[in-house]
Amino acid sequence: MKSLVRCALGALLYSTVALAASWSFEDASISVSGKAAGVGGASKEKLSPNSPLTSPLALPAADSLKVILTTTEGSTGKRAHQAFLTLHEPTTGLEESFPFSVKENGKGKVEVTQKDLPFQFLTSTQPLKASLVIASFGSSTPYNQHAFDLSIETDAAAAPAVPSPPERYTSQPEIRHMFKADPRSPPAVISLVFTLAVLAALPALLGAWLLLGANLDHIGKAFNASPVAHGLFFGSIIAMEGVFFLYYTVWNLFQALPAVLAVGVVGYVSGSRALTEVQDRRLAGER
Amino acid sequence: MNLRVLGLLLALLGAVAALSAQGSKLLVVLEDEAEKSKYSQFWASLEDRGFQVTYKSPKDSSLSLFAYGEPAYSHLLVLPTKAKGLGPNLTPNLIVDFINAGSNILLALSAQLSVPSAVSSLLLELDITLPPDRNSLIVDHFNYDTQSANEQHDVLLLPSPQASRKDVKNYFSVDGLIAFPHTVGQVLGNASPLLSPVVKAPSTAYIYNPKEEFESLEDVFATGSQINIVSAFQARNSARFTVLGSVEALEDKWFDASVQLPGAGKKSEKTANKAFAQKLSAWTFKELGVLRVGSVSHYLNEGSQKGVSNTTAVGAALDINPTIYRIKNDVHYSIEMSEWENDHWAPFTPAAGDALQLEFSMLSPFWRLDLQPTAQTANSSIYSAEFKLPDQHGIFNFFVEYRRPFLTSVEEKRTVTVRHFAHDEWPRSFVISGAYPWIGGIWVTVIGWVIFVAVWLYSKPAQPKRQLKAGNVKR
Repeated sequence: MKSLVRCALGALLYSTVALAASWSFEDASISVSGKAAGVGGASKEKLSPNSPLTSPLALPAADSLKVILTTTEGSTGKRAHQAFLTLHEPTTGLEESFPFSVKENGKGKVEVTQKDLPFQFLTSTQPLKASLVIASFGSSTPYNQHAFDLSIETDAAAAPAVPSPPERYTSQPEIRHMFKADPRSPPAVISLVFTLAVLAALPALLGAWLLLGANLDHIGKAFNASPVAHGLFFGSIIAMEGVFFLYYTVWNLFQALPAVLAVGVVGYVSGSRALTEVQDRRLAGER
Repeated sequence: MNLRVLGLLLALLGAVAALSAQGSKLLVVLEDEAEKSKYSQFWASLEDRGFQVTYKSPKDSSLSLFAYGEPAYSHLLVLPTKAKGLGPNLTPNLIVDFINAGSNILLALSAQLSVPSAVSSLLLELDITLPPDRNSLIVDHFNYDTQSANEQHDVLLLPSPQASRKDVKNYFSVDGLIAFPHTVGQVLGNASPLLSPVVKAPSTAYIYNPKEEFESLEDVFATGSQINIVSAFQARNSARFTVLGSVEALEDKWFDASVQLPGAGKKSEKTANKAFAQKLSAWTFKELGVLRVGSVSHYLNEGSQKGVSNTTAVGAALDINPTIYRIKNDVHYSIEMSEWENDHWAPFTPAAGDALQLEFSMLSPFWRLDLQPTAQTANSSIYSAEFKLPDQHGIFNFFVEYRRPFLTSVEEKRTVTVRHFAHDEWPRSFVISGAYPWIGGIWVTVIGWVIFVAVWLYSKPAQPKRQLKAGNVKR
């Protein structure tokens, strides 16, 4: 029997007739009023328990939203233990409830200003969903219905302070290391042109020397006078370049230095003999 | 590190050991020996799982959480007491020390006994706030048990708890409704990442003081899903502290009780309290969500070692975990992770939307990469990543820091030196086209020098000079 009654209640929840054992409200009105607006300046709308308001209400920064209603159990006004205006922010799912102050006869009111709202509500891009929850102890069916939408109009000059998000243990965005750019060469054509220009300096130099009368005519004379000294000295000059070439390609410094030393000693000793021969030629007026 | 030692001990102890990854000694603090029988199924479940349960009254002078400076028990279960506090052996200070020593606590509250201020202040240390009225309880006129609380609506019936975030594993899901009679609601602080809600109240719930039932409810402490019925705190040392708002949920009476939600068409059904109590105690006492790191390896992933997947097959030829790398080296990193599941180590998989991440860092991370699962063994999974070392030399760390709600934290740091290019590792000048003019210049100088020496040594004087000398002779 009892369950039958409850079945009937569930079916009639949306009907206008409030049955004995079901919580609802009547004489409900909602108004948004500012301090500047007078008594008549407030916008006021009627709320019905069965259908939400179609257009969203706007709540400007300085104004306050006021809901007045009479909670009823069945058709008589009675104080419900729980009479909440619940605001729900659809993107974050955050909910905040504002209790009505209800008198013994069921008359209740609640006032909400932007100061009462958490910052998530103030920064929400979508309108908040407001619902009315009226319930109490006992077996009467509780009431919980969407009543209206509320869009928050924040003051552009005084934007709400958004605190930095609290620390949570979660995976963090990936970091991919940005490498410095590799060193680049200029276009190969330019390098080639300048290489050719540098290489062309050698024939130019040799040509200039030839014009000035440079020759190797005394080579036989010099080698006849002191063949060993000249051979070793000129050989050591070439060998030194060879050592440098090996250092550039395969050797390290510790392999190159003894070789430089050895070639240097040979060059020094043979060089002093060879240059003596050159001096003899000079003194003989052949240079 | 501590866990690994414990895991080794566990393996040695074999069948004798508890199913907890930490230890088997459990202390239950309850005031009245007679109360014990109310929870007999819960005790039996704990003992079946291998816990050595010790029951003590808070008034017992032999009760001590520490023995010789070390925690005397691995786990502590505190039932609500009628007394105003928990006594001199269970002060908030000692309990915090107990947590700091790595032990786990399950604290049960009840709205039928007023909550001692010692407990409130202990919870405040963890940023959990209880309602200021000691007798306040959660009521919900929409989700209550019509069979036992038709008038008072103080036995909440809630569906299986959902994970609070998408990237968090849910260790507490059960089939069916869970009954929470006479629940003390908790409100969690927002700042701490160590706190996580386990069971939240439904959106129509609120907290009230039954002594003020007939007065108007103008100032509610908390409403809706901001109220927590069960909340969990996991300290930095992975010690766990769970607050259960309703101790009666653990009673035999509510294990498999039949309950019914209000409203037409709702049927009477069995509660899932037994399964939930098992899961909640299993998580708190580290039978669930304990992570272990097996081998960690990194090696050069270039030259002959490129693409080597099975490091053991190559054997000694492979240079595993070298201490030094060069900048821009390709390296391979892998880490073996296991998760303790009730009685065995199982391969660990993060929740969907979550990732195990590797940082390669010197002061700040240069790379942060999601590690990919590459292989799996019977009781571990291997995660790896391959990347090119940054072009910055210095002392770097391969750092895996994995801290998540409900999982013990993992911090694995391997320090390596990253050196610069050696002088003979740069590209030679002859492969750089920009260097050709300079190389050409050097060759021109070499050849020019040799020819100059030859000309200087062997040149015959030019003709005009001789004429000048001849003129001199004539004079």
